[in-house]
Amino acid sequence: MDYFVISLLNGVVYGLLLFMVSSGLTLVFGMMGVLNFAHGSFYMIGAYAGYAIARVTGFWPAMVLAPVVVALIGAAVERWLLEPVHRHGHAQELLLTFGLVFVIEELAKLLFGPFAVDNPMPAELARPALQVGDIAFPAFKAFIGVVAAAMFAGLFALLRLTRAGLVVRAAVHRPDMVSALGHDVSRVFMLVFALGAGLAGLAGAVAGVFYPVSPNMAHELGVIVFVVVVVGGLGSLPGALVASLLIGLSTTFAVGIDATLGDGLRTLGLAWTMGGIFDVRLSSMSGAIPFFLMLLILLLRPSGLLGERA
Amino acid sequence: MTASVAETPMAAPPSRSRAIGVALGSLLLLVLPALATDRYLETATRGLIASLFALAFNLLWRHCRLLSFGHAAYFGAGMFATIHAMRAAEAGSLDLPLPLMPLMGLLAGAVLGLVCGALATIRTGTYFAMITLAISELVHSFGPQFGSLFGGESGLSAMRMPWAGFAFGDARQVYVLVLAWALAGAAALWLFGMTPLGRTAFAVGENETRLRFLGMRTHAVKTATFCASAAASGLAGALLAVANENVDYSIFGGGASAAPVMHTFIGGAGTFLGPVLGAVLLTGFGSIVGQATRLWLLYQGIFFVLVVMLAPGGLAGLVAAGLRRSADGQAAKALRATALVLAGALLVTCAVVFAGETLSEVLSDAYSAARATTGMRFPPVERLGLAYSPLSLPLWAAAAAAFLGGVLLLRRAMRP
Repeated sequence: MDYFVISLLNGVVYGLLLFMVSSGLTLVFGMMGVLNFAHGSFYMIGAYAGYAIARVTGFWPAMVLAPVVVALIGAAVERWLLEPVHRHGHAQELLLTFGLVFVIEELAKLLFGPFAVDNPMPAELARPALQVGDIAFPAFKAFIGVVAAAMFAGLFALLRLTRAGLVVRAAVHRPDMVSALGHDVSRVFMLVFALGAGLAGLAGAVAGVFYPVSPNMAHELGVIVFVVVVVGGLGSLPGALVASLLIGLSTTFAVGIDATLGDGLRTLGLAWTMGGIFDVRLSSMSGAIPFFLMLLILLLRPSGLLGERA
Repeated sequence: MTASVAETPMAAPPSRSRAIGVALGSLLLLVLPALATDRYLETATRGLIASLFALAFNLLWRHCRLLSFGHAAYFGAGMFATIHAMRAAEAGSLDLPLPLMPLMGLLAGAVLGLVCGALATIRTGTYFAMITLAISELVHSFGPQFGSLFGGESGLSAMRMPWAGFAFGDARQVYVLVLAWALAGAAALWLFGMTPLGRTAFAVGENETRLRFLGMRTHAVKTATFCASAAASGLAGALLAVANENVDYSIFGGGASAAPVMHTFIGGAGTFLGPVLGAVLLTGFGSIVGQATRLWLLYQGIFFVLVVMLAPGGLAGLVAAGLRRSADGQAAKALRATALVLAGALLVTCAVVFAGETLSEVLSDAYSAARATTGMRFPPVERLGLAYSPLSLPLWAAAAAAFLGGVLLLRRAMRP
């Protein structure tokens, strides 16, 4: 039971972290029709920025400054790199962001070295936050969860309760119409892109407390985040939330399950000795679960769990 | 329909200059073993493999407008199948001569491609790209699990067994074997475009909805094209397995999937041989420049981004445009554009290399040591045969000016 509660908490925290990154990705896709391959790179830049700024200003100011820096980088990328390529079509935009992933990864290696940097955790976050039976739930995970929840509330309020949010939501669905109504859609694009990058940067800065800050983190999380937005439905924010939690929980629980597919069949009475895929432990396959889920969704419900665009 | 499925006439260079180019290239490939040292022959072998892989990748894009970001899965499948076959031959349980080993890779790529292609081509556009990426990540995540199949961290090794008096011990014989298969593969991919299936696949890329109205089973066409592309990728992987004699599961990672994408779009996806240009250029440069600097991957990435931004047709597109202009009697204009491109590229290269190398030197351990021994905060950098202060304002200003000026020149040259 204790194990179940802790896994639930861990899964929710990981899911919320995924949502922080995927929300920006899905918003940008909804508006521009472009899946930004480099979105995971913004997450990585956020982690490195948080690490570098924290060495100068201390931990807490860095958590505020790092997302701002990443948002500015995002705005620059949109204005000077993505926008000029827009007229060549979606494939060219996809290729551009694909190339940026490699440039940003190599720049990170150049500036911070090819291995994980030593990112010290502030003392406030290093102690346990609450105790479930014999297992302690650490404060930094609670911190990640609180920041993600606050971000979700803020984003929801921004999109649902403000006039700017109304324009953004309209531009997601009918950019041409919004433009015809006199809004500067390309400016809205840039701001949303910057916002999305900033959110990914915030996620990176916060996650850098716990996860190793290395040049690999962009690729590792970036691919999972693609899975999240496809499963949730490209362009759907609620879908991204549901899919994030689904994937966060399923991978977290799978890590703790030490059974094999063969065990499952044997309990059903299909008892014979099997090899290959039937003898691989579920816990060691937890990394593959998101991709199975994605293939399943694409076959059964191609527009995603809550997506509307086919 | 025949008009719309014809090769995109804008992108292709005039047929006479293309014929001359192909003839010269083939001649060079044939005399290379007599001229080059072993090291260059090994680079040429890898260039041939990369070319075939890029051509296979571009089959899908050029015909069906499908962008795959996960072709490493089929390349890797070809490698593993061939290594397993070679090991079986070594143990005496399989009687297949080495020159026919690549067929195993072809087969493995085709089978995996048929299954994955049928799944992936249900969708098009961004979704298709995502599915191919997810499939290759899935295969990659299997890598550490199945020890007997993938050989774990250390991978699997095999030996090239002698056949009919050939020992396949030196780089020359391996080169000839790879060359023969790569040429056969490239010819097959070229001929694919001539078949009714290839023609229909072109039409799918142009307007799939319309084809479906005509009663075509477009999903079957896309699956078949995907299968052909995966089979050729598997063949390319098999050739690498024969050349390297070992493989491990890291081949399923993102780097191997990115290579054909970069090669294809730097070389030019609009023409058949564009990907070959990109693959040969990047493999050659990688082998030469990769020894001189740690930053080759960074430069390659920046090069790719610049080509995507400034020359959507790739290098082959530039060459084709120049040749077309001079064929139209605008030779002076073509020469001017070429000069602008070369000058712009030179300026941008100088600026990027200066910035990259200086930064990498300042951040290196050797520089920290120099800082400690000289007692200076920023002792001079010795790089590129020069010694200069890393904070020199004129140098950085010159680099920034060269970069901006170079990009402006390039943009000007691209204007029609």
